[in-house]
Amino acid sequence: MTLLLKWIPFLNVPLELLGALGRWCRFVWAAVTWSFQPPYRWRSWFCQMQFIGVQSLPIIMLTGLFTGMVFALQTGKTFAIFKMQNLVGSTVALALAREIAPVFTALMVTARAGSAMAAEIGTMKVTEQIDALRTMAVDPLQYLVTPRVIACIFMVPLLTIVFNYIGCLGAYVVGTTLLDIPSGPFLRHLYWYLDPDDIFGGLIKAAVFGFFLATVSCYKGFRTEGGAEGVGRATTSAVVASSVTILVVDYFLTTWILEFFTSHRH
Amino acid sequence: MIEITDLHKSFNGNAVLQGLNLSIPDGKITVIIGPSGCGKTVLLRHMIGLLQPDRGRVMVDRVNLSALDRVQMNAFRGRFGMLFQQAALFDSMNVFENVAFPLREHTQKTDGEIQKIVAEKLALVGLTGTETKMPSELSGGMRKRVGLARAIALQPKIILYDEPTTGLDPIMTEAIDNLILETQRKMNVTSVVISHDIPSSFRIADQISMVYKGRIVESGTAEAFRNSKHEAVQEFIRKGEGKG
Repeated sequence: MTLLLKWIPFLNVPLELLGALGRWCRFVWAAVTWSFQPPYRWRSWFCQMQFIGVQSLPIIMLTGLFTGMVFALQTGKTFAIFKMQNLVGSTVALALAREIAPVFTALMVTARAGSAMAAEIGTMKVTEQIDALRTMAVDPLQYLVTPRVIACIFMVPLLTIVFNYIGCLGAYVVGTTLLDIPSGPFLRHLYWYLDPDDIFGGLIKAAVFGFFLATVSCYKGFRTEGGAEGVGRATTSAVVASSVTILVVDYFLTTWILEFFTSHRH
Repeated sequence: MIEITDLHKSFNGNAVLQGLNLSIPDGKITVIIGPSGCGKTVLLRHMIGLLQPDRGRVMVDRVNLSALDRVQMNAFRGRFGMLFQQAALFDSMNVFENVAFPLREHTQKTDGEIQKIVAEKLALVGLTGTETKMPSELSGGMRKRVGLARAIALQPKIILYDEPTTGLDPIMTEAIDNLILETQRKMNVTSVVISHDIPSSFRIADQISMVYKGRIVESGTAEAFRNSKHEAVQEFIRKGEGKG
């Protein structure tokens, strides 16, 4: 095998990726199995929900507001060519619910909380705090990973709802003030075209993104080697890997969701 | 009793332990010494199941650690306490929370009972009144003493010390030695101390064993160890006592 890799060096990258994927799968499996075993640390779960969910609210509201506003502005200017500005509300709401809100929310949570997870766990790894947990008969996966994964699975969809709402509000403000769209048609089209299925599909995506961003970030933290430099590397790597994973998973989820949730409308 | 038989461990092709055999008696202090990088910490980590042997076995109270699954191993570790080289205190918790951690995780004690036990353990290590301090506010010696208070909070049967005096001044080294002796006397535990501090080892050990080139080359009482004919042991003692 080593000889093969020596002669065909380009095999290294896919093999390393495959190895990392295998290790991540084992990590996830162990974390999931520990999630169902007592003790259930409710306090720790709620602490993580507070950190990942409540403390992310300001950044999510800010991002949602400006995303909705800029999206309304862009679509409004384009739709004006065809005199279809009244559709700005429904277009923004659909795009937010199906795609933008879950993806942006997950990316913002990755940047804010995913990086913190990798840095905290990475620091604990290099200072032997994770080994200390093991020696005290506390499984680090159950203690550190399970609360973060559960918090992300619940909080990313909730933050997505906030993103959707604030984004629509931003679009409404820009649409009715800068684009001179009457309030009535703006809201009527929004209600007409936006189905609960669109919102529900987006929330499923958000929950899946939450699972991936938490497991990838925690995994990177657990794989930290070396001192402060290693923690820095793990943090960067966690953000990059989580973001790429979210975008790749988004494509496949979208295919599935379009097929099963919104196909009856085609 | 900890019984280690034919223990082998390699990292990236580098053989660290090469057929190591060792018996650690109950209720005694066993000091394991050896030059840096000889595998002392690797050996200690095998004793508590943090590492799995490539070959050989580690028996603790007649239980083969390799035969335990993850959940059983987790439960089995309840009989151990371990003091890490850098103490490994949880830096997001204060001293009280660090010492209370194993009690909260493994007992149903009330807050009042936990407070009482934490105060008692902190008094034992001479750190009464430091409950609200964060680990970053403590000196190296204080961190180790808090680490010891945490390690003994659940009254373990076996305490493992990973280089407890490394990096400490002679006064603090003696204080930690006394603490190990006192803990041993009061709790009647089995203590395993990893060290390369020769004077400290002679002061506290009931049994001294030396790891050299991945094996135990000498093992016995402090007196027998001092009279060892093994060249590496004699050189280590000579240099450790500053006579070399």
